[in-house]
Amino acid sequence: MEDVSEAHYIGYEELVTDLSTLLTYPPPFIYINDPISPRTTSMIVDSIFEKFIEEFPGGSSSIRAAKVNAISCFSARLLYDSILNSLASWEAQWDDGCANWNIEDDGPRWNENFDGFIHGLHALCAYLQDEKARKKGKGKQKQKSTEYEGDDVRLIIAIERAERLKDNLPELLVPLTRLAELARIDLTVIFISDVQWEDIRPPLGASPDPFFIDVLPLTKETITNRICSKFSYTSDDLEPGPYHPSLKGLYSHFISVLCDVCFPFTNDPQELEYIAAARWPGFVQPVLDEHRRKVTSESENEMNEGDAGSTLHPPTEDVRMRLSRIFNSSLNSAMEELYPRLTNATEWASANQPKSDLLAKPPGEVMKRGTLGSSLDKDEGMKSLSRMSKFILVAAFIASTNPTKSDLRMFGRGLDEKKRKRRATKATGKTKGGPAKIPQRLVGPVQFPLDRLLAILGALLEENDVESRPPAPPEYTIPGEYTDMETGRIGIYSSIMKLTSMRLLHRMSHPDRIDGPPALKCGISYDVALLLAKQLDIPLNDLMWDPI
Amino acid sequence: MTSIPNLDDINQTAYYIPFSGSADDEAGNAISLPLQRSKNDLPDGDGMRLDAYMKAWRKTLDRMQSLIRALHAPVVEQVIKKVHNSYTNVLPGLPYPELPVVCITNPTSSSSFINDVAVRLDSTELDKGDLPDIPFLSTSLYPTDCGNITSAMKAVIGGFVDRPELLMKVKRKPTTSLASHDIEMLVAWYKSIRETYNVTALSQPKLVVIMHDFEEFDPGIVQDLFYICSLHVPRLPLVFMLSLSSPPSPSYLQLTYPRSTMALLRTHKFDVPSGIKILEEVVLKTYFDPEFEPDVMIGPTTLKHLIDNFTRQNSSLEASISILHLAHLKHFSTEPLTFLTQSTPSSDTLSHPSSFHTLDDLLTRLQGSAQSTDKEQGADWPDTIPALIATIDYARTTFYSRIRRLRIGSRLIQLVQKFMKTQGYKGLDWDQRPGGSSILDVMVDILRGKLGAGVKFLGTMVKKLKARQLSVLLEEIHIFFQTLPTALRSNEEEAREKIMASRSALPEQMDIDISAISSQLAESIGEWLVEYLNNLLRPLEETALWEVWYTGLSPFPSDLMNPSVRASMLAGLLRPYDFVDSDDSEGVTHSLSELPDTSILFRRYLDSGKMINVYDWFESFQLELETQRKHLRKKLAPEAIKVERGSPKKGKGKREVTSGGDPLEDDDGEEKWRVEVQARFMRALQELDYLGFIKHTGRKADHVQRIVYDIHD
Repeated sequence: MEDVSEAHYIGYEELVTDLSTLLTYPPPFIYINDPISPRTTSMIVDSIFEKFIEEFPGGSSSIRAAKVNAISCFSARLLYDSILNSLASWEAQWDDGCANWNIEDDGPRWNENFDGFIHGLHALCAYLQDEKARKKGKGKQKQKSTEYEGDDVRLIIAIERAERLKDNLPELLVPLTRLAELARIDLTVIFISDVQWEDIRPPLGASPDPFFIDVLPLTKETITNRICSKFSYTSDDLEPGPYHPSLKGLYSHFISVLCDVCFPFTNDPQELEYIAAARWPGFVQPVLDEHRRKVTSESENEMNEGDAGSTLHPPTEDVRMRLSRIFNSSLNSAMEELYPRLTNATEWASANQPKSDLLAKPPGEVMKRGTLGSSLDKDEGMKSLSRMSKFILVAAFIASTNPTKSDLRMFGRGLDEKKRKRRATKATGKTKGGPAKIPQRLVGPVQFPLDRLLAILGALLEENDVESRPPAPPEYTIPGEYTDMETGRIGIYSSIMKLTSMRLLHRMSHPDRIDGPPALKCGISYDVALLLAKQLDIPLNDLMWDPI
Repeated sequence: MTSIPNLDDINQTAYYIPFSGSADDEAGNAISLPLQRSKNDLPDGDGMRLDAYMKAWRKTLDRMQSLIRALHAPVVEQVIKKVHNSYTNVLPGLPYPELPVVCITNPTSSSSFINDVAVRLDSTELDKGDLPDIPFLSTSLYPTDCGNITSAMKAVIGGFVDRPELLMKVKRKPTTSLASHDIEMLVAWYKSIRETYNVTALSQPKLVVIMHDFEEFDPGIVQDLFYICSLHVPRLPLVFMLSLSSPPSPSYLQLTYPRSTMALLRTHKFDVPSGIKILEEVVLKTYFDPEFEPDVMIGPTTLKHLIDNFTRQNSSLEASISILHLAHLKHFSTEPLTFLTQSTPSSDTLSHPSSFHTLDDLLTRLQGSAQSTDKEQGADWPDTIPALIATIDYARTTFYSRIRRLRIGSRLIQLVQKFMKTQGYKGLDWDQRPGGSSILDVMVDILRGKLGAGVKFLGTMVKKLKARQLSVLLEEIHIFFQTLPTALRSNEEEAREKIMASRSALPEQMDIDISAISSQLAESIGEWLVEYLNNLLRPLEETALWEVWYTGLSPFPSDLMNPSVRASMLAGLLRPYDFVDSDDSEGVTHSLSELPDTSILFRRYLDSGKMINVYDWFESFQLELETQRKHLRKKLAPEAIKVERGSPKKGKGKREVTSGGDPLEDDDGEEKWRVEVQARFMRALQELDYLGFIKHTGRKADHVQRIVYDIHD
């Protein structure tokens, strides 16, 4: 157990000493800010509490700690309930109707408002003091009568993701920061958050300034140490698995290479651990395969050897080099796919499993496995859209990237069927004074009214869809009339709405507004638009005002 | 009834004028049958047709639904397995437990798949009463449940906790116990479940939350929901199942949710088969499978519309099924003889005098078909009612056997084509059609009888086959016949014998090229195949009374499914009478003054320039109303004399009542008339404004801008 917490604390020693020291004579309000990995910090705070309470004179009867999450306590009632239950170490039971902690069965209600909460805290304090006194009374009959100062019970309330209090329970922010003054008991409030106190501080100095603890980002070496030290306790099976103790040396090499590759992109230890968890089983598999092969061949040859042959020895330097050469390139792709969670670790690990008995093969034969092809299914992805939806998306993309004024020049057709006028390409290199104009594709999509979308859609359909659509009924005699009719159909509107609900289009105007056309914005990237245009035979680059 | 509101009260901005007409009309319409009666109907024709329609559609729909279910089954199985294993075989060494999420992408059939899954999850629950055997407890979450995080949590927790059959509900005090949106309550409940039923960690039931229409959920709320739930895994074995209808590749989850949320989840993606292939499968197995016989066959126009709609407009199976539904409905409502679909009524019914119209129609059609086809039926002209019934029954069996042969033919031609493809030949150019290709397009051609050239081409290809290939082809055709249902196989005895004979005629040793024999054989098989296929694929219209069982070339009412808003609005304004009385006033043109006010105003609107002076508009409107008034007076004058100064009849509607009964040259009346004209103008103007024809620019006093141009009447 000791080992576990030691491994936990690597890199966070400063936080551990700071907080443990502070908690002996705590300030009323502490603010812990960890912009990198608040989750790790909160786990560490948990174990600090545990350890601190254990070591504190009197143990859990003279100090109680509660940690609540501001996201899951989204209402004041939940916050009060969670804090009180957790301070009292009370677990709600289904059989007695999930009752909250209370002194007696029909006790008063603590969760109604802040006042009730303060009363609840007082009641809890009194209850804990009673309990403490009773315990002490049982243990030491002699000191029963003496007024002992240590009867006080210290309460610690930690609130994780405290930045959310500002949105969810803004009215509670000030009282919580002043809780010790308001309740007049020995109490500390700790906020843990990944944003700065300045960003959530209530105005007009309503809250006292907290005691700040900033958690600094870990260095590469610390993270490497941290992850490596976790190795020993994650392996618990005797069967030579990926986390066999003999492989620890290899693991620390692996982790240091992994950190070399990935550290520039993220310094969240949990993220690196996640990537390591996904890659390690594949990395070590050749070694295990080799071992298994050896064991089976040995057991075939000499039956008397027994256990001695089946122990897994740490791999040699040579094997390590070979493994590194095979797998190092995959670390980058693991980073690229796992960090944004394009896939999850379990699936990535099974998709990137090396072939069995890799080490038995000559080095030349070892093929590098391709990564999960995210580009492969890209082509398939949009196939399920109907042809009209694809046209709408391309039209939306054009509407979102081209300036409105260019539409007539891009899509307009004169009577003489002249080729569309293109903008004369400006001579490059001439820079005038004033702010440089940012190209449209870098500005991001602009919003456009529905009418414009329909107009561009009509133009696209007229140009690119005449051959493949069902022949126009004979009553449409004027050129473009049939297209005009088609773009006004309910189906088009419902497709647009459907695409909006898929977030391929974004609706910018408020849905309740009924005057004027709704404003939309394109939600697909240039690549996707290009892909769709290719499927529809639309020369997209010719239709863009500012082609890439 | 309330008193008339004081309309002059300037403090009131809105008035409620309750509807004072009788409600009987609507109630009367509501219970009438959806099928229209025609004059050729039997006395109870519409009812019989409705029955026939219900039977026919039910049969087809059941078939399609079971096909869809079969298509979904393998993926459903995978999903269930994944959910089942979501808390076992977790990758070791992860920094924190992840919340398993099964993400189902299903663009084609939005709700049916997730319902299949939900049924599977629930069925295991119902089958066995003992909890340790229950692998899942599921609850459904809809976007409307999740207006805010409180209601979302309440819905999730309530969905699990409200199961008195598992755990008795304990009376709780709402104030001093956990709130119903507190996840701790779910924790307590689950703990109690585990203790009550002594569940081990491995067999503990997973708590599955199915989120329907996931795209409609507010991402902010779902983020919090996921966060809260992820704090409690694996203590609470929650699994989220998301039903998405957006395309899989720019993943909706990735687009919408931030990395911090994605990092909490272990997302497994499942794609439900989608696209045109699904439609092909369903339609082919419903309408072109020798093993299934729908009561009504769809014609090429409907099929074509189905394909077009699916590929171009709306790629959803639900919409396609609606199209087929509508095609059935139209078939049974427009074709009076469809009461004959499944059975022929007894001779008593037919000999009743009120059925003579129907008989007349029936005989005319029988005569028509008898003239057009050569008299191969050989049936005598039915001159008695029983003979007529026999003729109808005979027509039914003939049609069904013909369509069965058509199905066999279509399968055979696909088989030959596929064979050619596997042999590396080009075969027919089914893939190179403009605007995408689908096997259903080939079916359209078959139904239209346009595949003659293709059949001939395939025959030529067969003629050129080598002996070895020929034997493979014959083998395949032989197997095809073997797999046919017995009833059908016996009908094609001749063809099977031909195949058997040809197979035995092939030389034993293929390696020795006995070119003369094999080429001769190939020649004969090719010719036979062309003849046989052409015989199988004869147009369905050649049979008698085919209209009853086949929708043929009747156009599909696509405007009902997908109307053009603008066009119907303009048509409504320009020709309002076309909508009011459908049949009688065909071709009758109405003069401007006969039109309703809004239409009059709209006509004048069309005559104007870009900006419209409202006063000029009003004057022209007034002019039309004057004409209208004069007309009415002229019409009413003789009647008024007849009634002798009585109040005018109420036959012409409200408007006429108020305008018609005025004394002629009364100042007071004239004043009233002017006010009325103005009121009517205002109302019509408001209506046009509401429809969006007018833009108030404020650029010019008393002017509004016109925004609809170029109306081609």
